[in-house]
Formats: sequence, C-alpha cells, structure tokens
Amino acid sequence: MGKIKKKGVAGNARNFITRTQAVRKLQISLPDFRRLCIFKGIYPREPRNKKKANKGSTAPVTFYYTKDIQYLLHEPVLQKFREHKTFSKKLSKALGRGDFSDAKRLEDLHKPRVKLDHIIKERYPAFTDAIRDLDDALSTVFLFANLPSNRDIPPQTIETCARLANEFQHYIIRKHALKKSFLSIKGIYYQATIQGQDVLWLVPYKFAQSVPRDVDFRIMLTFLDFYTTLLGFVLFRLYTLEGLVYPPKFDKKMDEMGAGLRAFSLESKKVGELENGTNGELVVKKDVSKQLETLGDKIKEIEEKGEEEEENNAVIPTTEEGEKVNEGLDKFTAIPSKDGATTDILEQPTEDLGGEGKTSNMFSEWTVYLSRETPREPLEFLLRSFGCKRIGWDAVLGEGSFTRDDRDPSITLQIVDRPPQVGLPPMPAGSEAQEGVNAGRGKVLGRLYAQPQYIWDCVNAGRVLRPDSYAQGAELPPHLSPWVKANEAEYDPTAPVEGDGESEEEEEEEEEDVKMLDNGQKKGVEAQDSEDEEWGGMNTELAGEGEDDSEEEEEEEEEDGGVELQESDAESEDDEVSRQLQHQRELEAEAKGVTVKDEKKSKKSEAKKKLDKEKKKREDEIERQKMMMTKKKRKLYERMEYGNKKKQDEKERLEGKRRKIEREKKKVKN
Amino acid sequence: MTAKATTRKRSRAEAEAEKPVLSSEDEFEIPEINGDEDSSDDSDFTAGDEDSDEEEEFSSGAEDEEDEEEIDSDEIPSEDEASPKENGAVNDDTSDDEEVEPADNVKVVTGADGNPRYIYPEIEPVYDSDDTDAEETNTIGNIPLEYYESYPHIGYDINGKRIMRPAAGKALDTLLDSIELPKGWTGLVDKNSGAALNLTEEELEIVKKLQRSEITDESFDPYPDMVEWFSSKVEQMPLSSAPEPKRRFVPSKHEQKRIMKIVKGIREGRILPHKPQAEASQEPEFYDIWADDAPPKPDHVMNIPAPKLPPPTHDESYNPPPEYLPNEKEKKEWEEQDPEDREKNYLPRTHKALRLVPGFNGFIGERFERCLDLYLAPRVRRNKLNIDPASLLPKLPSPDDLKPFPTTCATVYRGHEGRVRSVSADPTGVWVATGGDDGTIRVWEILTGRQVWKLKVSSDEAVDSVTWRPTPEGRILAAACGNEILLVVPPIFDIEEENQGKEILSAGYGYAANRQGKKEAPGTWSKPDAALEEDGVVVTITVRKTVKYIAWHRRGDYLVTVSPEDVRRAVCVHRVSTHLSQTPFKEKSVTKGIPQRVQFHPSKPLLFVATKRYIKIYDLAKAELSKTLKPGARWISSIDIHPQGDNLIVGSYDKRLLWHDLDLSTKPYRTLRYHDKGIRAVSFHRGGFPLFCSSSDDGTVQVFHGRIYSDLMENALIVPLKVLKGHKITAHLGVLDVDWHPKQPWLFSAGADGTARLWN
Repeated sequence: MGKIKKKGVAGNARNFITRTQAVRKLQISLPDFRRLCIFKGIYPREPRNKKKANKGSTAPVTFYYTKDIQYLLHEPVLQKFREHKTFSKKLSKALGRGDFSDAKRLEDLHKPRVKLDHIIKERYPAFTDAIRDLDDALSTVFLFANLPSNRDIPPQTIETCARLANEFQHYIIRKHALKKSFLSIKGIYYQATIQGQDVLWLVPYKFAQSVPRDVDFRIMLTFLDFYTTLLGFVLFRLYTLEGLVYPPKFDKKMDEMGAGLRAFSLESKKVGELENGTNGELVVKKDVSKQLETLGDKIKEIEEKGEEEEENNAVIPTTEEGEKVNEGLDKFTAIPSKDGATTDILEQPTEDLGGEGKTSNMFSEWTVYLSRETPREPLEFLLRSFGCKRIGWDAVLGEGSFTRDDRDPSITLQIVDRPPQVGLPPMPAGSEAQEGVNAGRGKVLGRLYAQPQYIWDCVNAGRVLRPDSYAQGAELPPHLSPWVKANEAEYDPTAPVEGDGESEEEEEEEEEDVKMLDNGQKKGVEAQDSEDEEWGGMNTELAGEGEDDSEEEEEEEEEDGGVELQESDAESEDDEVSRQLQHQRELEAEAKGVTVKDEKKSKKSEAKKKLDKEKKKREDEIERQKMMMTKKKRKLYERMEYGNKKKQDEKERLEGKRRKIEREKKKVKN
Repeated sequence: MTAKATTRKRSRAEAEAEKPVLSSEDEFEIPEINGDEDSSDDSDFTAGDEDSDEEEEFSSGAEDEEDEEEIDSDEIPSEDEASPKENGAVNDDTSDDEEVEPADNVKVVTGADGNPRYIYPEIEPVYDSDDTDAEETNTIGNIPLEYYESYPHIGYDINGKRIMRPAAGKALDTLLDSIELPKGWTGLVDKNSGAALNLTEEELEIVKKLQRSEITDESFDPYPDMVEWFSSKVEQMPLSSAPEPKRRFVPSKHEQKRIMKIVKGIREGRILPHKPQAEASQEPEFYDIWADDAPPKPDHVMNIPAPKLPPPTHDESYNPPPEYLPNEKEKKEWEEQDPEDREKNYLPRTHKALRLVPGFNGFIGERFERCLDLYLAPRVRRNKLNIDPASLLPKLPSPDDLKPFPTTCATVYRGHEGRVRSVSADPTGVWVATGGDDGTIRVWEILTGRQVWKLKVSSDEAVDSVTWRPTPEGRILAAACGNEILLVVPPIFDIEEENQGKEILSAGYGYAANRQGKKEAPGTWSKPDAALEEDGVVVTITVRKTVKYIAWHRRGDYLVTVSPEDVRRAVCVHRVSTHLSQTPFKEKSVTKGIPQRVQFHPSKPLLFVATKRYIKIYDLAKAELSKTLKPGARWISSIDIHPQGDNLIVGSYDKRLLWHDLDLSTKPYRTLRYHDKGIRAVSFHRGGFPLFCSSSDDGTVQVFHGRIYSDLMENALIVPLKVLKGHKITAHLGVLDVDWHPKQPWLFSAGADGTARLWN
C-alpha cells in the first residue's frame, strides 16, 4: 500500500485558485485585478472537479489557474497600479489642500502611465497570432469610432479609434485585402484576409447608438486600451511591411470637412530608409537590383492590368486627363517601394495579379457617383478596395470627392437608393445643371443606375453582376450572407424549391434518389446559367417552377385527404385503417367531381403503405438496439438525434415557408 | 582563619578516630535521643568540614600553603587546640572531645553519662567569620517539615544546633487569627522559623506599588515639576552659550553651485523646466514589436484561445429571403421570451432599401457582452463528437433469424371487471386461468377466447394469484384470495381427470386428522363450504395474512406462498399430500427484509426468496442459506428462474430488468433498462424456446431472446425481440402478470384494463 495522500496538496486543489484568493495574493483591488486580467488575457477556468478545487465546497466560485496568477505577481503593470495608488493619494492630498498648481504638476509629470507593449509581445509572440485575434479589436474600435464622446468616453479616445479605423481601412484598400462584406441589420460585416488570416469585423451603421444602462464603460475602455495599442502595433508592422510610413499623414482640416478616408495620405518610405530599417540588408539589396532589372517590365504589366495604385490620396484628380498624369507619376514613385514590401512579406506580386487580381480590381474601370442618400463611407471603402479610383459624391456627403457634379459625363455608374421619379425626361450627360433643380431631375443618359446592394452582391459574388435586378426602384433580390456554406443538412435559399407544386411530403422519401438526380440536373443547369450570367443571361433561380395545373389540383386533394396516420399496435390494423382512409379519400374525390387517377392512386397508396411499414420497421429496429445500449450511450445517442432533428426541423420549416410563398406568388401571377 | 581551619581539621580527625560520640545537647537533657544525635552530629560535622574545605578554596595563596601543611598533619591530631576552641556556635553547644585536653577557658562538667563535658565559652562573632551573615538558617534541606512534627525542634542551624519550634498558638488563637487576619498576613509558614510568615509594612507598600504598576523605589518621583526651558517668555540670556555659526547667515555655496548647474542646463536647453512629459507619453509610440519575427510557437496545452464569434447567417441580412421572416406567431413567441433565453438577439426584418435600415439597438450591449465573455466566462474545451449517431447503436442479430416469438395480439380474453391480477396457462396448453380484482377465477379456452368456467370466490377481496399445478396428471389450480388459498379442480375436464385431481387433494385429510391437538400450524387445511365445493374447490388453506403469490414445486406436492404483510410467517410451504403447512423461516431476521417472491429451483432442492433488495437462495436439504444475490435494484417486484436453473431474471419497480448468471457472480450479468415504468412481472419460457419477457406498468411487454450456451465460457446471449403494446394503462397500472404457453411460443398477459391477452 502506498503512502496515504493528504487532501488539498496536489492536483485540482493546487492548480486552481478562486478569484478572492487571487485578489488577496496580488494585494490589489478587484477593479485593478479585472484590468490586469483583461490586459493579460487571463480568463477563468472550469476545473474538472469543482469540489476538489474548492476544499469540498460546491458554492459557485470563479476559478483561475494558480500558475496564471503566479505569473501576474511579477507583472510590471501591477507595479504601475501600485504606483498609481500612491499617486492618487498624493493628488487627492494636493487637491484637499487646495494646492492646484501642485496637483497640476503631479498630474502632468508624475502620473504613472501603463505601457502595454510587453503584454502585446507576450500575448502574441508571432505577428500572425496578433492578426488572428484582431476580430474583436476591430469591432470594438469601429464601434467607438462611431460613438459620441460623453462623460465616460473622452474625445481623445474616439479620435484615436477613428484614426486607427481609417488607417486600417487604408491598408485594406491598398492591399486589396477585402474579401467579403455583408449588409446585416446590425451593421456591415467585412472580412479581409491579412497575411493569410481571415479577419471579420462589424461596423455599425452611422446612427446615434443607444447606450444601455447596464453597460460598464470602465470595462469597455479597458478593453479598448488594449485593442488600440494592439491595433497600433499591428498597423505599424503592416505599414512597414508595405513600405509605408506609419502613422500616415493626417490632414485635420480635411477631416473636419468630412473627408473621412481622404484625410489621410499614405507616404512610401525611401529605399535607403528601408535598408536601414527593419529588413535584412542583403535581401533588400538583392531585391533592389532585381527590381531595377525588371522595373520596366513591371511598369508595363501593371499598366496592362490596370492596377492603379494611388499612393498619395491627398492629390485628387479632377479631370480625366489630370488624373492620368497624376496616376502615372504616382505609379512611378510607388513601384520600388511596393516591390520592396512584397519581398518583405514573401508574397509574389504576380500571384496577386492572377485570377484574384481580376476580382480585386473589378471596379477599376468604373467612375462611380454616390447619390446623397447612400452611405458614403462603406461604399467608398468597398469600391476603393476593389480597385475603383474615381468616386464622386454629393457635396452633402463631405469632402474629398472625385467630382461633385452628378452630370459628369465620365460617370459610368450612379448608386441611388431612392425610388425613381416618374414623368421626368431623361437628361443628356454633360448638360448644364440649373441650380436648385438638381433634385427634380430625371436620369442622366449614358450611365447605369443601381442600388447600393449591387456593390455588395458583386463583391460577394467575386464578379460584376448584371445590374438589371438592382435598378433604381426595382425589388431587390434577397441579400445573402456570404459565409453560409450550404450543406446537406441545412436549408439553402439559393437552391430551387424542391418538389414545387407536387405532393411533396408524401413522396419525399420515396423519390429521394430521383430528386437527387433532378437536383443534380438543375444544379448543372444553374451552373451553366451562372457562367452565362456574367453580364448576360437570366437569373434562372426559379427554374422548374412551371408545373401542370392538374398536378396542383392533385396536391390540394392530397392535402384534403391527408389525415395523419396514427400509429397503432399491430401492423394489420394499420393496413386496415389506411385502406379505409384510402376508400374515404376516393369517395371524397368523387363527391368533388374530380376524376381520380385510380391506377396512380393505388400505386401511390401501396407505395405509401410499404413506406410506412418500412419506416415502422426501422424505428422498431432502432428501439430494439437502444434497449441493449448502456444508459450513457443511449443518452449520447438521443442527444445527437435531438440535435439532428432540430436542424432537420428548421430546414423543413424554412422549406415549407418557401413553398407557401412560391405558391402565393404563383397565384398572384395567375 | 587559619586557627579555625585547624580546629575543623582536628575535630574531623577526632570524629574519624572514635565513632561513639557523645551527646552534646546537655541543655535539653534528653538522653533517649542521644544515639540519634550522634549520627546527626556526625553528619553535621562532616557538613562543617565541607564548609571549611570551601573556605580553603576561597582563601588567599599564603593561607593556602598553611592549609596544606595542616592537611599534611591531618592524620596526627595536632596539639594546639586552644585557639580552635574559640570557634563554636553562638549557642555554645558544639560537640566536644573528652580525649583532648581542655583549654584553660573551658569549663568542664560531668555529662549525663558521667563523662566530663567541656563547655566552651561563647565565641565572639567576628565580622569576617564565615557564618556571620548566615542567619539562623535551617539546614535540613528540602525535607517536608512534617517529618519533625513529633519533635520539639524543627531542624538544625549551621552549627548543628537544634532550632526549636516556635510556640504555636492555641486553638483559640488560630481561630481568632482566622477571624481577624492580622496585617500582612499571608497564611504561609516560614520554613526556617516555623512561625507565620507575615509581611512587613514596607513589604506591603512595595506589593501595593507593584499592583499599581508603579516604581517601588520610594525616592522616585514620577511627576516632577516641569522646567520650562522654552517658553513664551523671552529669556535674557541664551540657553546655550555657543556662538551662532557662520553658516546660519551666509548663503550656501554648495547650493549656489547646484543651482547654477541647473540654470546652466536650462540655458543650454539640456533641462526643460516642466517638460511636457505628459504629452509625450500620452501618444503611445509604436514600433515594430515583432521585428525579431519569432516563428509562431505552438500554443500552451492549457491555453484556450477565445472562440471567435460566428459569422452572420442569412436571417441577419437587411433583405433576407422571405422565408426567414418570422410570422406573427414566431414574432410573439420571440417577444415573450426572456431576453436571456432568446436564441438570437434579433428578429429577422426586411427593408426595401438600404436607406431604410435603422440603427441596431443592441450594438453596444452586444459588444459589452462579448467583452464580459472574454474576461469572465470560464473557457472549457469540449470535444464535439462528429460521428454518425447510428454508429453508436449495437449490432444485433436480426429478429427474423430468432423466430418464432410472439409478435401480435391473437386473442383478447374479456370478462373480468377490474384488473386482471394473475394469469396462468395450464400444462396441457389448452386452458388459461386468470384471477382478478373482482374476486373471480376464470378459465378460458386459449384459442377461442371463450370463457369456460368461472368461480366467484369472494366479493370484496381480489384473487391475487392463480397457478396451475405443473404436473400433467391431476388438473389442480391453486388460487390465492385474501388469506385463503384455494385448491380447485375446475369441472371442465373429463370425469377421470377430475377425480384424479380430487383424490390427490383429499388424500391428506387423514394426516390432518391425526395431527389434531398439535401446536398451531401456520395454515389450516379445511373443506370448503358446500357452495364452493359444488364449484370444484376441494381444499382451502387459511393462513393469517393476505397471500400475494403462490409457486408450485415441480413435482406438484409442495406449494409455497408469500404473504408479505405477515412479518414472521411471510413464507409458508404447504404439502398437498399430507395437508401440512409450515414456515421455513420462523424469524423475520432470517430473511432480513420482507419477502416479495419465492420460487423453487426447477431441479435442485433450493428455494429462492426475493426480498426487497436481495435474493436469498436457501438449500432446503441442508436447511441453510447458500447464496445471496445482490441485483442492485431498489425494490424487486418479481423473479423467474431459467428452466435449466443456472440463470435468473429479476424485475424491479425501478424499471430495471436484471439477468443473473448464478455461476458468475452475485451481481447481475446484464442490466436492461428500457421500460418507462416499473416492471411488474418477468417470465422465462419453459417449453424449450429461448425466450423470456418482462411486463411493466407502461403497458408494454418486452420479449427477449435469451440463449444460454452449454459451453460455460460463453456468456448468455440476450437480444430484444419485440415490444408488445396493446394493454391500456389504467390508474397507472399496465400489465400485471405474464405467463408463457407451456409448449408454443405464445405469451399470455394480464392487464390492469380488465383484459388478458394472448400474443403469438
């Protein structure tokens, strides 16, 4: 026999520490502990055995890892907290004495400031780690950038957030990193791929946010502190890798005039600077020589592909010619730096110019004008990330527009979000606008009009779609989330309606394989369609809708007679009942005066009977097998079945609704 | 000093020379105790000697030398005793030597023994003598004073003289003392003097001061008058006569130097007074923190990164497909739900145009929730089982291969009013008997479902159990109704068979008659009344309490009954051939628990008694308990033994069906738990089919295939075959009893809905 083990000296009892114990051990207040935990990313744990971890007590407590807390003991931030405590004592003393100049001096010179650099390096040892964790940081920063300052939130914080958000957007635009975007009722979701990591963030619509009462802004601000620092470092690194100067130049005047993104101007670093900078000298030198060799080719290539990188956004081209000149200049200065950057992150520029390049520059040919009722910021961000250079908007929407004249003949697409005004004659492009009549003007000829959703759908589809269904005032097709991958078990709204107009429920199982085949065909057709669809070809989503009227009637019949069969004890009884039902159905049909297709009916009922029998048999078999399972396994099995059933139910619910809607639509049509 | 030492030496020498010592206590004139005195004197002397030795040690060098000489001459008693004779105690009762010449100043008297006795003059105590400062100390050492109680003295002083007991007060004095305590009384007795140890005035004062935590020194003044050295009064003269130092009124050069340094710094711009440190630190400086570009390390095992928020689904769209929009019912349901219970914190909405989309109300709340989740929510890694649930199902042989077994209800036996409590198929397989709550026993033809015979036994009590005698000859039906057991030969057979049965039953009457007058048996065998006899009842056995269950022995001579209400005689064994009843377990403690069911082993002389929680197997031949099975059920409702006798099934009210292999263990080999309600009855097929079944209050009968292999190494095969549904549940009771057809794979069940059913 081994030595008798003492309780509470090893295992769970040692590995876990309650929050109260942790706070005592660190000798700080609870709010400070909270701040520390947020900064350090320490979170509570769930011990396997709560009783063992808490000396036999089962009271609800928060547990932390003892090691986590142990590491906190030597945290420099903890020391800062303590310093702050003494500082606040001094300050309050000075204030109590009425010695305001002293208080001011203390505040200015001796206030301990927490630096989070080391924590960021510690939490994210590699750069990709930091990017992976950027989701929450971006969402929070974008939220605060859109909040008004108040007692809880100082204006500097909001400024910082807005600046960081814009800087981040600039990077995304420059790198064409944006992949998907989605207009939700909560806000706009964006997904970008940075260094191979997918980053998803949510930006609220530009409205005043309602602040719930139970929100503790101290917690939010602590998180924000960390997130702004993190984002700052990440942006620094991203800009540096891109060969840009961080922070970019910020034009305050422009910002005040509502220029938004245009208030920032990116500057590229000089080659010499780069060499002295973070990059290894040898690599850069080699690259430079290579670059010089291939410089001419590249310029050509880029010109061909139409990849027009605008380096200095402060320069706003006003006319087409001016723009061209400017671009040419910009390109020339931009190239070495850009290439330097690409070598730095080991990414091949040619790769970017492949199939993806087409996507990322799909709007490059366009000149877009935003009507004043459209949201400028998201549209500008989206259009620019996909290569659009010339975006104009109404003066109401702020500074920095490519053109303010909505009758500019160069405009190819106008984004409108208001209903069309009928009875107004179309206007030729370039005709003189009369002041004050702008609003009551008809369409300008020579350009397309589309609703904002068009841009989003193009982005998510990865190609330019036909703008027909997005025309001004048209009923928009549903806007779908680009992140939902349709699989077998879930409902797919893009798939055509199954068994539309037929007696679906009854034949579902029977005709499963047939349907599968059918689906395959339909999908094939659709695929073909979608290939054609690129600017031509109709959306054939509703293909296979047209069905015979007789079949529809039949369905109604079915519904009339479709009494749910009750499960009875013996199968013989079942059969009898079903036979009776069948008979009754026939009688009813006769009374209605509808000719019953006897052969088909009987076949159907037989098949149904067979199906029922099989189903029952299968169920019995499962029951039988469940009898021999252990309780644990049975529970697990039942849980899984429950989950599957829930999914299936949801799918069926949606399908049922869809069918109903389709039917109603058809009725309306007829 | 020298003289004294010599005397000591001498006297010691004397003491050594002659042991018979004289008494020295002439003053007291107590001759009896002389002998005692001797020894004590002697010891005193030695003590004195030792004292002198010590003296020697402390004496100075010159004297030491002399001492040495003395010691040298120790053996020869020196002549010059004169001076030493001065030495002596104050009481002048030093011991004397007769042999020594008395000095001139020595008085010689005749002692009590007639010998001359020298009385030396008192010695003037000199200051430097060794015992001047020694007060009259008692030398008895650490001895209780009680030892001296019987003596007039209480010890001896340094000179060996007796210290006399101080005069003790009279009883009255003590009384007075006790009433009126004198000042300074402590209640202690001075060990040295034997007198009461009282504190003096001064001592009392000291004690009081100590109690007040004051300094005991009289001369100390705790509150001296303050001398106001520094007062508001301006003194004429300075307190210190030191002259004012120069540095007090000359500006410091050192300070000047330092100030100049700073001034110079400021002028040069090195030092910024009130430098805008705050501004500098407000803007966090960013740098390339990942410049070293460490390769991404694998996460620590215990680190759980925060889960990302799931991407939005279609229904979150501002313009979702119409099927995602909630209808009125769903909307209402969502609104009525508590915000915490809602699956999603938004209701899908559709908007015709983007400009019509309002701001989302819960945006900040949602972000705040996420923040809280990030730092407050415990993170646990959960493994998601991504398997097909069908793979969890065990592989079972197809029931088609295990046919035949009952699958459908073939006949329904209707007629009973109230529940059918018990069902039993007759061994020939033609009849089936039932007993019910209406107090009737009915016999039915199996195939047709026709009721052929009915007997109303009682109007108020239920027939709890009916069982056919298992032997083919003599068709006897045993039925339990209340506390009576009826042995019936139903008049449905031909005359021969009927008579055979009656003969078997009535053969015992003779034995019963012989036993008259013996002590009271647990059951009384009697002839039924005429009406019952007419109906075919041959014998009734009356026991004390209600009989719940009857089981026959395989040979049909014995039957055993259970009446759980009777604590002492719960189990009764009745012998048909001798009309004898007995209780195998006299005491309740034998079975430990209320017996629920009993059963004879199909081949061995074993009796199975199922109590609430255990099954005890008694060896009837040896009359001892051979085994106890522990099925682990809370309340056993029924048991049945496999016809081969090695396996046992147990049904319990806690929904479990347990299969025991008696050779394997006392624990069940298999537990099946698939009934929704408690199990009422279990039964093995006895006609050669490997079938068994259980019936439950959920109204179902589950039929199983239970094959036992002759190979001992192979475990029994249990396969569920069929769930027979048909009985209706009435008053929470379903199927109360089941029995198999003796030859066919047919099953009889008795339901609480008043029907019995045949399944085939």
